Amino acid sequence: MSGRRERGGGAAAKAVIVPAALLMLAELAMRLTGFKSDSVAPPSEILVAAFQALHDGSIARATGETLLSAFGGLAIGGLVGLIVGIVLGSVAILDRLFDFSIETIRPIPPIALMPIALMVFGFGARLEIAVVAFAAVWPVLILTRAAIAGIEPQLLEVARALRLGFGARVFKIVVPAILPRLFVALRLATGVAVIVAVTVEITVNPVGLGYAIMIAGQSLRPDLMLALLIWIGLVGWGLNFALQATERSLFGFAMPRARP
Amino acid sequence: MTRLAPFAWRLAGLGVGILLVLLWQRIADARVIPAVFLPGPDQAWASLLAGFESGGLWPKLLATVLRMVYGWLLASLLGIAIGAAIGMSALARTYIGPTLEFLRPLPAPAIIPLAIAFFGLSDTMVLGVIGFGALWPMLLATMHGFAAVEPRLYEVARTLGLSRLGVVVKIALPSSLPDILAGMRLGLTIALILAVVGEMLTGQDGLGTWILRAARAFRAADLFAGVILLGLLGYLSAQALSLVESRLLRWRARAR
Amino acid sequence: MNEPRRLEEFAVAAEAETLIEFRDVGVILGGQPILQGIDLNIRRGEFVCVIGPSGCGKTTALRLLAGLLRPSSGTVLYRGEALSGPRQNIAVVFQDYARALLPWRTAAGNVALALESLGVPAAERGDRARELLAKVGLAAHARRYPAEMSGGMQQRVQIARCLAQNPDVLLMDEPFGALDAMTRQSLQDEVLGIVAATGATVFFVTHDLEEAVYLGDRVIGLRPHPGRIGIEETVPLPRPRDQLTTREDPAFLRLRRALFDFTKSAKA
Repeated sequence: MSGRRERGGGAAAKAVIVPAALLMLAELAMRLTGFKSDSVAPPSEILVAAFQALHDGSIARATGETLLSAFGGLAIGGLVGLIVGIVLGSVAILDRLFDFSIETIRPIPPIALMPIALMVFGFGARLEIAVVAFAAVWPVLILTRAAIAGIEPQLLEVARALRLGFGARVFKIVVPAILPRLFVALRLATGVAVIVAVTVEITVNPVGLGYAIMIAGQSLRPDLMLALLIWIGLVGWGLNFALQATERSLFGFAMPRARP
Repeated sequence: MTRLAPFAWRLAGLGVGILLVLLWQRIADARVIPAVFLPGPDQAWASLLAGFESGGLWPKLLATVLRMVYGWLLASLLGIAIGAAIGMSALARTYIGPTLEFLRPLPAPAIIPLAIAFFGLSDTMVLGVIGFGALWPMLLATMHGFAAVEPRLYEVARTLGLSRLGVVVKIALPSSLPDILAGMRLGLTIALILAVVGEMLTGQDGLGTWILRAARAFRAADLFAGVILLGLLGYLSAQALSLVESRLLRWRARAR
Repeated sequence: MNEPRRLEEFAVAAEAETLIEFRDVGVILGGQPILQGIDLNIRRGEFVCVIGPSGCGKTTALRLLAGLLRPSSGTVLYRGEALSGPRQNIAVVFQDYARALLPWRTAAGNVALALESLGVPAAERGDRARELLAKVGLAAHARRYPAEMSGGMQQRVQIARCLAQNPDVLLMDEPFGALDAMTRQSLQDEVLGIVAATGATVFFVTHDLEEAVYLGDRVIGLRPHPGRIGIEETVPLPRPRDQLTTREDPAFLRLRRALFDFTKSAKA
């Protein structure tokens, strides 16, 4: 099987070739033709802008604002989703009764609720936290509900056979059984939270990374704008990566079978 | 009894929904939250009716729907075509695949400033953003679907002497359909969101602009009416797609 | 009914057409020699069974005939010409029937796939598909999806699809390996019936020694690492074969013993 050794280093190299080549091409093309534009900038300038913004702390501050709102909303929405998900997952009757209502409220795009929050809270962090909270409820609710419903019935029978009290049953059987899937819900909800936070910032809220990117665009600074765009992508990717790594180290034994 | 049961449950679910609306009405009447923030369902409903009767709401609803659908359709065609091409070619998958996967977590709204720089605050910009945002999930899902076709089926196709086009249309495409449809569902959700955001930013006529203006003028009833319409739009479009999906994927439901 | 046909074939044996020829065929995959020095002639209408321990290359040999693989050395000839790819009158029945059928098409639809590639006009396809399914006893299940059928039924759908190609040659790669004993036996007899009716040449790969003797005119045993022909036995049993009487025939038992000894020695 001589293909095996090639797979590790070779695959990584092949993955990078095309984007690297395109970037170099763009750089050369823009430099050589003296191309000036309000919407694109050569990769080198983007890098310079990125370092500048990192250096003077503006990116750090904006990132902090965005993440504050994202995590704040995640905490609230996640908690609500967790509680409701546990209740619905445990009591089948309630689940069926509330299914219709949940399926009608869920499709409301979070950004549509943004004007309501704007009206109530005005501009600022609370506006974002409110909208993010609404968005974060759904992935947590649905996955928690599924996690509870998906507990191996035999485990619960074991609990009964051992005559475990309510507390012991919850902490020794239920919680460890659902924890891996709750973590997946957390990871997905984090992604949603960041995206929604940035969206609210781009649309109306004058704080955070979304606002920074809009300002960069309006000040005709394409280099900064693209640098911030890449940075937002990196933040999202980084959070996902960190959570996946934690997931694997904590729950390696319960690795999900299908990769998303 | 079992025939009746699912129908009875659905009715009960609807009943619970109605109860929640009545609860909303009570809370609004009790003025626990100021009426300017939380109008009752009766006011929202009245505003809805007024909006449609005066004729102002229809074109806005239509504008948002059309934007969403056009952008989504465009993204579907491109996403499926490109995704299929890349998915079927192992070469393309090795060289381009990882880059595309890397771009996946990029939030579509973050593209908006770039789009504004290119197209200005115009309808083209909104359509472009919707198309771009909805493109990714469909492209990636299609790519995965085409890459995951059962290899044995390709061998069967070879022994039967199936043409290249035949392989794509009769084997790869039907095999990838579940993935493609999942991508389309996600793309539709994104298209709706981006349509609303785009409208809010550019002031183009549509539901997004309507609810933003209502919020700024503290016209809570109008605002809630608009939000309900958007929720309805999301719900109906998702249901429509679900219906199509269940018809196309009939064979899945019949597994032993 | 088939006896006179067999005699006729014996009479013409000397001039019987060699349909398939392996000339010093070798296959190297991933740096490993899988097959080496394979010389084999298969006559038209012959039922050849290939046995051998795992890794002896019997599936590889089948895939050479299917045109899915090219030999690294030597030539595989079909009708005197080198085989360069899959042929429409060489049909393949794969072992993993669930993966070889299109799950989104009904039984009739799966059979129709072969008819479509043959260019059969759309109006005729439905009837032809149902005819072919009737030949394998699945006429009543034409509108079922593979997921709704048992393993045996799915394998029969595959066989029906192969018949749609009007094949000169049937390549069967351990087709009944994943099925229970009773289904296996009934399918064995079905295949014998189909082959007797169509006169097809068969290349049948199997792990099951008794199956090989029961079905074949000739049994080839391969030794592994690398795959070479180790034993070649003609099966002198009369046709039509019968699950009870044939299996008690002393010639059957003798052959079975010989093959069993070969397999043991080949594994060592």
